[in-house]
Amino acid sequence: MLSKIVKSGLTRRTFLQSTAAAAAASSLPRMALAQDKVIKIGFLAPLTGAVAAWGKPGLDGCEIWAERVNAAGGIKLSDGDYMVEFVGYDNEYDPAKARTGATKLIREDGVSFIMMLGGDTWPGVQPVADKTGMLFSTLLPSDLSPDTTTLIAPAEVHPIYNVTGVEWLAENKPELKTAVMCAQDDALGLPSVATYLAAFEAAGIEMLDEPLLFDPATTDFAPVVTKLIAGNPDIVCLDTCYSDYVHPIAEQLFQQGFKGQIISCTADFYDQMISKTSEEFMEGFVFQFPDFDDPALNADNINFSDPNGFYAEFNKRFPGQWGAVSWEYASIMDLWKAAAEKAGSAEPDAVITAMKDGQGKHAFGDADWWGEELFGIDNALVGDWPVVAIEGGKATIKEFRNIPAWYEKHGDLLVKHMQAYDQMWNQRG
Amino acid sequence: MLDLLAQTGLNAVYAASYISLIAVGLVLIFGVMGVINFAHGELYMAGAYSVVLFYSDFELPFMIAVAAGLLFVGCLGLLMERTLFRPLKDNPLGGLVASIGFLMIMQALASMGFGVRMEHIPPVTQHVIEFSERVRLPMARLFVIIAAVVLLSALWIFLKKTRFGWALRAAAQDPEAAALQGISINQTARIAMFIGAGLAGIAGALTAPLVSVNPHMGHSVIVTAFIVIIVGGVGSLEGAVIASVVYAIVHTFVTTFFDGVIADITGLSLMLLVLIVKPTGLFGSADRA
Repeated sequence: MLSKIVKSGLTRRTFLQSTAAAAAASSLPRMALAQDKVIKIGFLAPLTGAVAAWGKPGLDGCEIWAERVNAAGGIKLSDGDYMVEFVGYDNEYDPAKARTGATKLIREDGVSFIMMLGGDTWPGVQPVADKTGMLFSTLLPSDLSPDTTTLIAPAEVHPIYNVTGVEWLAENKPELKTAVMCAQDDALGLPSVATYLAAFEAAGIEMLDEPLLFDPATTDFAPVVTKLIAGNPDIVCLDTCYSDYVHPIAEQLFQQGFKGQIISCTADFYDQMISKTSEEFMEGFVFQFPDFDDPALNADNINFSDPNGFYAEFNKRFPGQWGAVSWEYASIMDLWKAAAEKAGSAEPDAVITAMKDGQGKHAFGDADWWGEELFGIDNALVGDWPVVAIEGGKATIKEFRNIPAWYEKHGDLLVKHMQAYDQMWNQRG
Repeated sequence: MLDLLAQTGLNAVYAASYISLIAVGLVLIFGVMGVINFAHGELYMAGAYSVVLFYSDFELPFMIAVAAGLLFVGCLGLLMERTLFRPLKDNPLGGLVASIGFLMIMQALASMGFGVRMEHIPPVTQHVIEFSERVRLPMARLFVIIAAVVLLSALWIFLKKTRFGWALRAAAQDPEAAALQGISINQTARIAMFIGAGLAGIAGALTAPLVSVNPHMGHSVIVTAFIVIIVGGVGSLEGAVIASVVYAIVHTFVTTFFDGVIADITGLSLMLLVLIVKPTGLFGSADRA
């Protein structure tokens, strides 16, 4: 190659001078970048596989969040301003891979905080958390226990918020008297089953059958749906099924002629469900995750910066990818940033102390650190949660309801059903 | 109750149809080439993605997308035969290991090409045949049932009535004797691979609008197919079809009358029972077991 360049008329000295100049020039941006101090945040969630819908859109949302924060001057700590950078690791919803990822993020990338989906992957990571004292977050407070002192659940109180949907249904559609439920048999499905059972019992809605559990490897949902609707229930509850299950189950309900109410924790990509069924069939479908262009999110009590703009930017960059978690990890970062700035430090101990000092600014309003009775530790930030229904083909927030208020009245039922499914913190392996 | 039994029966017929298409292809490849193709589920996945590409993205008619899936996956089978299985045919475990590698490559290619999340495929038809208010058969499922019956009948005729079919069966029974009779073992392997892969591809293509299409969708299918061919007898086409029907009936009815987790346990128990009582499977012969 060098001989070809020399033959083209370029002298060896000119070539070396040019190369040196180019090398010096190419190093300039790096030197400039090095002047910015950077805080790295780990993103340890499924980015591929069946659960990727609850990981990848969250990382996409975080990138938008980081751009906004960095453009506004970054995170202001006692020793200066820091740019924020996310380091993603795909744990494929596998505990062993999650453990490897946590170790890599801490040792090699030097992250200050790690966000996770949690669930089946948390047991793999917990020894790393215990050993390093790293601050982790989960979307699933069912991961919490008295031992998980550096694990917080500041965005989503899955599955406890599901009670708000059932409570709203019971008040607004009192003619619905009976229900059935199906769920995948895993760490996401089972605590949610217990929660829905408690919510239905509290609402006076009769369960026609035991919850129908299916293997997460299920591909054909016709037999599941046939059983679900055999007793002509008023309500079919899809629990916290993954979107890969919610879609074919909803389609089967449509094809097998179900005409009642559907309630689900999530309805990710509900426009596709409408396309596979009909707008009429999906009308009134109740779930728990709003689109962030909803006008109700512009209220003063909402602690998420410019939700409508965030939603528009997300959809511009990732058309059709908006889902339940698109905003959640970003909202956790809002809390973390506020706590780090309050503490003046990104050290895990300082951040968690600052974070738990008083009420927390949850995305859906001010909330309390809660959960000792249910999780053995007050590390879940719990307050209001929206009830969402599909109306005219569009997700619409119907109401915000308070989770601790429900728990105050019906907590014993929740504990009873959690115990029946071995989902209390002192029962989980 | 009668409605519930009838609807469950229809569900079982559909399940038996697509499982038998996949299992027969797997058995054909094993029978002729002696290779356990772990990538068979990914051939099913490739058929489904053909529909995503040609039907969803290019908006071609569904049946053209299905035909394209059959041809594409059949050609993938030829590629596997030529580049993986033939060079490794003297290595007893070579084909198996190579197919596991091919499986991973296929999953990675699907992830890179289409992304990791479930693909949306518009419904081919929303028409439903209503036998009663609670007994309904969607047309999309009927297509799969008809296709399975037609294709498996055509395969049976091909194997029993044509010279190529005789050659395939001869090569499966005794490759050396078949070669001495002038039958090209390489050619029969190519035919078996094209047909076996094509059957998986068409199963994936036909069921694509009815399932979640994602890069990992082949996993659960291959587990079911292995259970079926072990129950039916490794190497037996008739056994694969009958075991598919038995497995589909058992799994579907247990799911409906108990639950899906118990159905999986029952399916595996059925396999264990057959292995204990008749280790060669219901229709298998000792030399292939």
